[in-house]
Amino acid sequence: MNGDPRLALVLSVADDELVIGHRHSEWTGWAPHIEEDLAFSSIAQDEMAHARLLYGLARAAGLTDRDEDALALGREPAEYHNAVLCERPNGDWGYSVARQYLYDTADSVRLEALASSSWRELADVVNVMRLEETYHVDHARTWFSRLAGGPVTGRQRLADGLSKAIGEAVAVFEPLPDESKLISDGVLPRSSEDLLNEWLGAVGKELEAASLDFVLERHGSVGEMVPTGSGEVRGEEVFSPPGVNRRDGVWIHEGGFAGAGGRRGRHSDDFVPMWEEMTMLYRTHPGARW
Amino acid sequence: MVSRVEVASDVERRVWDALAGVHDPEIPPCTITDLGIVERVHVTTDAVEVDLLPTFSGCPALDVIREDAESAVRRAVPEHDVRVRFVYSPPWTSDRITANGQEALRSHGLTPPGQGATRVVIPLASLAPGTTGATCPFCGSSDTVLESAFGPTLCRSTHFCRSCRNPFEAFKPKTLA
Repeated sequence: MNGDPRLALVLSVADDELVIGHRHSEWTGWAPHIEEDLAFSSIAQDEMAHARLLYGLARAAGLTDRDEDALALGREPAEYHNAVLCERPNGDWGYSVARQYLYDTADSVRLEALASSSWRELADVVNVMRLEETYHVDHARTWFSRLAGGPVTGRQRLADGLSKAIGEAVAVFEPLPDESKLISDGVLPRSSEDLLNEWLGAVGKELEAASLDFVLERHGSVGEMVPTGSGEVRGEEVFSPPGVNRRDGVWIHEGGFAGAGGRRGRHSDDFVPMWEEMTMLYRTHPGARW
Repeated sequence: MVSRVEVASDVERRVWDALAGVHDPEIPPCTITDLGIVERVHVTTDAVEVDLLPTFSGCPALDVIREDAESAVRRAVPEHDVRVRFVYSPPWTSDRITANGQEALRSHGLTPPGQGATRVVIPLASLAPGTTGATCPFCGSSDTVLESAFGPTLCRSTHFCRSCRNPFEAFKPKTLA
């Protein structure tokens, strides 16, 4: 691993896009109707393309010797920097919508900040991504509203999905390794904590408008993924989201994460089976060309 | 005697002519210059560099377009080293599609994204009923509904015309505005 903290930054965004793109692609052929097969397949295609652009950027900037295929498919699980949220299985439609809504709103806050990065080539790629991500956020918000306002079963499934995903969505903004250097160089224009509070404030308002803000007050577990034999150790069970509080009418983060560790390669038990499938062809046929 | 500038501009003209003959493999009536993806042609004494802008970054036709463009330019200026690559600044937007390109899309049964006030609108609530601003490429009616902001390729949305009862596709607007 190169010592330049820009590598961890690029890989955090790229690996999020690759891994959630892989999960989205698992809906192909299985979504509730054909329009959603197309929607999730298209979003997956965009996300994987964004990962590819960023891997190419990392190599062009001399941050790594590995080409885009080797970065996407040739690393060991502990070398991936994606947030744990992105690797979770799709579950039901409620969880998939909740996760896409939380991830893509978080991603848009992060990309808006990176668009003014002092690293010009990164800002250029991010601007290309943002034009396409608009459609992802639109898709997620559309389904969020439909399920939130729909019959009780869909609304309940959305609420369950949000409750399950919200803590790990907060951890999308887990601080990056050597973040202070990224900030002082202007590569990362705002701290992860600052971006987290912008996102949480906005999402909190949208959840309140849908009378779903109770998901911010009910949560399953707290702790960090640790690389033990089983790969995953859950912390204690709690019933408030770690570090999330409402102050003066605004939802804010005050420290603590659930499902953190992804940015340092610590993943859940769900990651390895997905990684095995995603990388199988590459590992079975080294050097194969498409 | 021919000056170096004249030679360069002749080469440049041949390169642009060659690029104007390269078609999008997924929308055959449309050329890459119609789509506005040729950003820059740079000619030196012995080399030609062409910068292209990707339409949608995950479009699988991009590699084909790059290779087709490279061989077309090589044929046009065989005495030069040719390099064709994609660049990411400025971002491509659908406002770069020329009037010819809009017509070529329509001839292929695709509603063009339009520009400014005529732009196809993909409403924020994509599943909500209502008009989309897309004109039916078959009958010209604007009494149409959006089926989905996604379609058979990354650059297309799917619609239904309530006048002639045909499903149709539109080239998705991609814009900074």
